[in-house]
Amino acid sequence: MNGPLHRVLGEIAAGTPTLAEIARRTGLSDDVVHAAIDHLVRAGRITSTELSLGCPTGGCGACPSSGGCALPAVLGNRRPGLVSLTLTRSVA
Amino acid sequence: MRVIVAVTMSDVAAQRDVSVDAALLSQALGCPVVATDPRRRTGLVALATAVRTTLADPVPDARPAPDTDDALLLDDDRFTWLSDAATKATVTPGHDRLTVSDKVDRWVTAPVVGPLIFLAVMWAVFQLTTTVAAPLQEALGGFFSGPVSHAVISLLTLVHLNATWVEGLLVNGLVAGVGMLLTFVPLMALMFLLLALLEDSGYLARAAVVTDRLMRTMGLPGRAFLPLVVGFGCNVPAISATRILPDARQRLLTVLLVPFTSCSARLTVFVMLGTVFFGSNAGTAVFGMYVASVALVVLVGLLLRRTLWRTMGAEPLIIDLPAYHLPTLRLTAAVVWQRLRGFLKTASGIIVLTVCAVWLLQSIPTTGGQAFGQVPVEDSVYGVVARKISPAFAPAGFDQWQTASALLVGFVAKEAVISSWAQTYATEQPAPGQAGLLGDHIQAAFVQSSGGHPLPAVLAFMVFLLAYTPCVATLAAQRREIGLKWTLFGVAMQLATAWLLAVAVFQIGRLFW
Repeated sequence: MNGPLHRVLGEIAAGTPTLAEIARRTGLSDDVVHAAIDHLVRAGRITSTELSLGCPTGGCGACPSSGGCALPAVLGNRRPGLVSLTLTRSVA
Repeated sequence: MRVIVAVTMSDVAAQRDVSVDAALLSQALGCPVVATDPRRRTGLVALATAVRTTLADPVPDARPAPDTDDALLLDDDRFTWLSDAATKATVTPGHDRLTVSDKVDRWVTAPVVGPLIFLAVMWAVFQLTTTVAAPLQEALGGFFSGPVSHAVISLLTLVHLNATWVEGLLVNGLVAGVGMLLTFVPLMALMFLLLALLEDSGYLARAAVVTDRLMRTMGLPGRAFLPLVVGFGCNVPAISATRILPDARQRLLTVLLVPFTSCSARLTVFVMLGTVFFGSNAGTAVFGMYVASVALVVLVGLLLRRTLWRTMGAEPLIIDLPAYHLPTLRLTAAVVWQRLRGFLKTASGIIVLTVCAVWLLQSIPTTGGQAFGQVPVEDSVYGVVARKISPAFAPAGFDQWQTASALLVGFVAKEAVISSWAQTYATEQPAPGQAGLLGDHIQAAFVQSSGGHPLPAVLAFMVFLLAYTPCVATLAAQRREIGLKWTLFGVAMQLATAWLLAVAVFQIGRLFW
């Protein structure tokens, strides 16, 4: 069996860095890759974490430095940022 | 089970030149497929008809599934079936399906070209920063050492406190030390603005992919790139950010590596030394220190992994990148102000206290017959302590006591290196067109201590500054995250690394310059 889920998992395990790159390498459409990722997250095969290089998209509650921060007013308008997807169980 | 598929969002698909053939999809799936638009209430009659017809028909046989209990295999079989059916029934535009973001990303996240683009972008940031901000910085330097100093002296004269220790504290201490630091405000503002634009446009997220790949290539934990990238702004929140790492050993390793990332406080010293010693190539010199910082993180990380944590596994990780977009003025301005506010807060808080402490130490005589505040700096407690430690830096080419003392003060905060120099040399108003007397003093000190090899000596000094303990706030954050024992281990490792690298840079460099 070499279906979309196995191919996406294989690319993650191989270190393919982005979803666009996974779609390009596997030949799957972006929609199928995103659907596969959603399913794998639900199935507990990968974990999804929002990351931020600046302010966290989750707001001040998710920020370890919120105490001295001057940006609470703009956090609500923060655009979507990085999302990391981490493999928790590799393909058997 | 009876199934009817209702295809919605046809309007969105049409906007993307995508069409779905309901008949083909029905044939591939083996069930009725009806196109509907619930918002415009179209196709609802056909859907109701399909429901009635399907309910009247016998229940269809289930699709044959693989004979296995493996949930992933069963799921994958369904995905394959659905994906094939969707592909057969969907007509997509003939042109390239990649968006502009995708096309740009193929270059900026490429394994070889990506890092080169990242390096070029960062070099441009530093070059632009140092070139554009230099005249403003020079003007501010003249303002503090000229009108501000004169105004303070005039005020003190009015209250008969001129030529006393009060004048020493205010003019040679606070105005010279804190004022010199404040001359960096335009430079820091410009730097923060450029980085905020890169961040808000989405480019820094691509840089994170490049960094992540480099770290994984070296066998370091992939997700550790985030606190390390944050560390280039300030080490303190970077250490707090290591909490995102799930593994305790990964957290410990990353906390030990964060101090090697070149924070913005070090930037001020790098820019100053770069301007004094490298002139128009100051931006390149500063950029070189950032490259050295990345190399240091990788090499020390590898060394620690090969010695202390050999069994640490590298976890696979991918990143779902946001699309590029135009930076917003409000968010960019707010981010710049937040970071500039942090710089000003440091300058007005811990640096003021440090300046006062340095002034106090420079005012206390070590021999009899000299009054408080009337002692030459080299004969003060400050000067005597500095002379005791300065021989340790002789192999690195910067054993002048003024230089050694600046490094000692730099333990408090790296900005204090500049303020302590300014205090020690008691800067005067610069002549027009010159970097200022402080630069001349520093240059003369390096020429003398290096035996005529100032460039390798100043590079060695910059490397030492990069590698040794960033500030007391970082130490406090480290102690909170990894405890006192590992914090002290980190300090010892940083000092040893800094000294060995500085000596190597000077001894090798003096062979060529």
